[in-house]
Amino acid sequence: MKKTSVLAFGLVAATALTSPAKADKLDDIISSGTLRCAVVLDFPPMGSRDEANNPIGFDVDYCNDLAKALGVTAEIVETPFPERIPALMSGRVDVGVASTSDTLERAKTVGMTIPYFAFQMAVTANDKSGVKSFEDMKGKVVGATAGTFEAIALEKSVKEWGAGEFRPYQTQADVFLALSQGQIDATVSTSTVAQSNVKGGKFAGISVVGNAPYDIDYVALFTNREEYGLINYLNLFINQQVRTGRYNELYEKWVGGEVPSLSVNGVYR
Amino acid sequence: MFSYNFHWNQAFKALPQMLDGALVTLQIALLSMAIGLVVALALTLFRLSGNRILNGFATVWVEIARNTPALFQIYMAHFGLGSFGIHLSPYTALLVGIAFNNAGYLAENFRGALKAIPETQTRAGRSLGMTPLQAFRYIVMPQMLRIAFLPATNQMVWAILMTSLGVTVGMNTDLAGVTQALNAVSFRTFEFFALAAVIYYVIAKAVTLAARLAATRMFRY
Repeated sequence: MKKTSVLAFGLVAATALTSPAKADKLDDIISSGTLRCAVVLDFPPMGSRDEANNPIGFDVDYCNDLAKALGVTAEIVETPFPERIPALMSGRVDVGVASTSDTLERAKTVGMTIPYFAFQMAVTANDKSGVKSFEDMKGKVVGATAGTFEAIALEKSVKEWGAGEFRPYQTQADVFLALSQGQIDATVSTSTVAQSNVKGGKFAGISVVGNAPYDIDYVALFTNREEYGLINYLNLFINQQVRTGRYNELYEKWVGGEVPSLSVNGVYR
Repeated sequence: MFSYNFHWNQAFKALPQMLDGALVTLQIALLSMAIGLVVALALTLFRLSGNRILNGFATVWVEIARNTPALFQIYMAHFGLGSFGIHLSPYTALLVGIAFNNAGYLAENFRGALKAIPETQTRAGRSLGMTPLQAFRYIVMPQMLRIAFLPATNQMVWAILMTSLGVTVGMNTDLAGVTQALNAVSFRTFEFFALAAVIYYVIAKAVTLAARLAATRMFRY
C-alpha cells in the first residue's frame, strides 16, 4: 500500500515537472510584457503619424488600451495594408489592430474577433471629372487602396459595369494623389478617410460627392486562427470598450458625429 | 515561430489568372527591350557624334537611368509627370519607366562593346572610302551588337523582374498585380507569392536559355 502511494506520488511529480502546461499566445504576450500590434499608419484618422513622427489614431489608442488591459506595454508595428497578414504569420506582431474587414474569405486564414469599428463607404471625385454620385463612376477610371474592402468591392463593380477601369494603389496617399492629379476620376474609401483627406487640404480639387451603396464595412481585430484563448480575450475586450463608453470616447476624439453600431440586427455575433 | 497551413489547392485555382498576368509581364518586358535597344543605339550615336549637346543629353540620360532606383523612375513616370498634367496609364508608365532604364544600361553595354573593337578598323574602313556613318554601320555596329548581345539578355531578365514594380503605380494586370489582388482577397500570401516566384523564375530562365541558343546560331563564324 505504502509502496504504491509512493510510486503514484513519484509519477505525479515527474509528470508535473516534465510537462509544463502548454503556454498559448495570451500567456506569451503577458510573460513577454509586450503587445505588438500591426497598425496601418497611412489611414487617418484610424492610424497616422503626428509632426513628431509618433503613431497616432483610433487604432493606436485601441492598441494602447488593449495593452493596458493586459498589463503590458504596447508596441506599434507599422504595416501597410498588403503586409498585415505576412507580419502576423511571420511572428512579427501578436494582434492586428488594422481596420481589417472581416470577410469569410480572409477568416479562412486568420482568426477574426467581433467587429470593433464600422465604416460607411463614400465616393470622392475629382471636381473636373463630372462624377456627382456613385452611379456616375460607371465607365470612368476609378481607384482605391489595394487590399481593402472597398477596393475589392469597387473592382467587382467595375467588372459588372463592363466599362471603365479600376486601378489599385498601394497606399491611401497614392490614391488621393492620383485623384487630385486627375489620373483617376473617383475613388471609394471609408467616409472617415474621405473627410479627413478632403478637409486636410493636402489634395486640391477633390470633393466627397456621396455614399457608395456597399455593405457597412465591419472591421475586426485579428490574430492567428487557432489562438482561441486570445480571441476570447479580444472579444471580451471589445465588448468592454463599448460597455465602458471608451469606444464612444475614442470615436468622438478621432472621428466625431454619430457613433456607428457594432451589432447586426437579427443575428448573434 | 511560423504558424501557417498551406492551402495549395486554393492557389492553384488561380493559376490561369496568374499565367494571363505572366503574359502581360512578358509583353511589357519585350516591348521595353525593343524601345530600349533603339534608344540605346541612338544614345550611343549621340555620344560618338562629337556634338556637345547630343553627347551631354546621352550622358545625363545614362547617369539618371543607371544611378537612380527603377522604382523611382516608374513612380516618376506616373505621379511625377502626373503633377504636370501628363497622364500615363499604369501600363504606359511602367513601360516608359522600364524602357528608360533599359536604354541607359544598354547604352553602357554598347559603350563597353565599342571599347573592345580596335579603332584601326574604323580607320581602315574610312581609307576604303566609307563615310564615318558607313564605317559605323557596316564594320563597328555588327561587332558591337554581337559583343553586347549576352550582356543585353541580362537586361532583359532584369526588365522582366522590374515589371513587378508596376504595383506601385496601380498596375493590376501583370503577374505581380494579379498576385497582389489575389492576396488581398484571400490573405493566402505565401501560396500566391511562391507561385509567382516560380513563374518569374521560369520566364527568366527560359529567356536566358533562348538567348543563349539564339547566340550560338546567329554568331557562328
